[in-house]
Amino acid sequence: MRSVKRPRTHPADETGSRTPAGILVVALVGFAFVLLPLVAIVAQAPWPRAESVLTSATTVTALRLSLVVATSAAIVDLVLGVPVAFVLARNEFPGKRIARALVVLPLVLPPVVAGIGLLAALGRKGLLGGVLGVLRIQLPFTTAGAVVATAFVSFPLVVLAVESGLRSIDPRLEGAARAMGARPWVVVRRVTLPLVVPQIVAGAVLAWARALGEFGATLMFAGNLRGSTQTLPLALFEVSQTDPKGALFIALLLVLISVAVLVVTLRGRLLEQR
Amino acid sequence: MKGGTTRRVGTVALSIAVASLIAGVSCSSTATSGSGGSPSTAASTHLTVLAASSLTQAFGQIAKDFDEAHPSATITFSFGPSDGLATQIQNGVPADVYASASETWMDAVQKDPGVSGRTDFARNRLVIITPKDDPAGIGSIQDLGKPDVKLVLAAKDVPAGTYAREALANAGIGTQAEANVVSNEEDDQAVVQKVLLGEADAGIVYVTDLTPDVESQVRAVEIPKSVNVIATYPIAVVSGSEQPALAQDFADYVTGEAGQQTLHRFGFLPAS
Repeated sequence: MRSVKRPRTHPADETGSRTPAGILVVALVGFAFVLLPLVAIVAQAPWPRAESVLTSATTVTALRLSLVVATSAAIVDLVLGVPVAFVLARNEFPGKRIARALVVLPLVLPPVVAGIGLLAALGRKGLLGGVLGVLRIQLPFTTAGAVVATAFVSFPLVVLAVESGLRSIDPRLEGAARAMGARPWVVVRRVTLPLVVPQIVAGAVLAWARALGEFGATLMFAGNLRGSTQTLPLALFEVSQTDPKGALFIALLLVLISVAVLVVTLRGRLLEQR
Repeated sequence: MKGGTTRRVGTVALSIAVASLIAGVSCSSTATSGSGGSPSTAASTHLTVLAASSLTQAFGQIAKDFDEAHPSATITFSFGPSDGLATQIQNGVPADVYASASETWMDAVQKDPGVSGRTDFARNRLVIITPKDDPAGIGSIQDLGKPDVKLVLAAKDVPAGTYAREALANAGIGTQAEANVVSNEEDDQAVVQKVLLGEADAGIVYVTDLTPDVESQVRAVEIPKSVNVIATYPIAVVSGSEQPALAQDFADYVTGEAGQQTLHRFGFLPAS
């Protein structure tokens, strides 16, 4: 991303004092609305039990599985998403706008719809179920299934981030490389991709975080079994059925990971984008 | 201009993504049974009934009948796993009536926050279901211990899951069957769904889950009486109910003749 420096002299004080009191009050409620659940998780957690919950087999197994699943999902998203971003950014074809809308759809689709859609497509009796059966590939009830479910819901994040990066590249750079006789593949590898590394990283991290948090699609498509498909959100849900206080620690774990992702990777990016 | 639009879409999408990082989790199904076509009755009273998900169909019918006798009452159901519902009640979810698929979880609610008028109102038993084409060749409960059977049960604290594990242990295949479990589902209805979809080779549910619609799409394998587990369903008014009288009316209706007939029609056994 080209960082366009905005003037640092925001007349903040001036405009701030003109914000009507009513807006300030509602804004305060808005801030509280967002923060309250997070504060409550910390405040309500039974801290003396922290160690026993966080080191329990359920939590540890789910954490390990979540890291594997989210990382695999992010890799799948990159492998499939970067080429899609290329096509959307560089190629003109009829129905392109529809294609882009469809690719972004998983982002706004209810996860449970993603889950049942994946079952209808890749389940034992799904559209491709017969083919997968012959190949002896089974996705529901397997870790691979959890990866597919989470990769599906997080896919658009990679595509959108990388596409916006590709569009911001100065076409003269690639033109120059071509003029010097570089083949298309070489241009992509040596010029284009290095220029969009920040967007690829941002997209991958967002996809990773989205995959880490997925609940509905995973539960629906992959099921819930400790060690193979029970990721942290599923473990949280199961624990909350009988021990909601203890489940707060798993929630806290997810909050901390999310906050870390925001702080470390998206620092500049989101905060500067006004 | 076009590039600008794209970038804006990107920014919006990223914002959405960040919002979804802190995604919520909610899974209980809620259904409101209104009385006919008068949504804004002046003096309508609201009754919240938390009931085991295995009661979904039967209580839906009972609510309709109850509504006719009490036109001013509106019943809101929250169907879910009995353990989850008990936890919700203990954490202050408004509840007037609790109907559990197990005595264990009613005991928990009776201890905290307390109940009144607790009565057993029905019993239920377990049955094995498989997809119509029976891919794993399940002829008896023993077959659930065979290698490579994809078995789906309700989670172990959910009554349907607790009972299923008891029955498997009674049949002497507890360990082998547990090793075959590919998913611990939220409740019996979720087990039915996994078998209906054909993803699971077998599941253990209540006989009452075999509604005509379900029965036509699955194959049922009976579990012999000697190893089967009988579930007892208690109902009670939850302490702190704002409508204790109406709540008790509903509980009485369920335990009364009309309610019992409906439960019988949906396959439940009488309480005693």
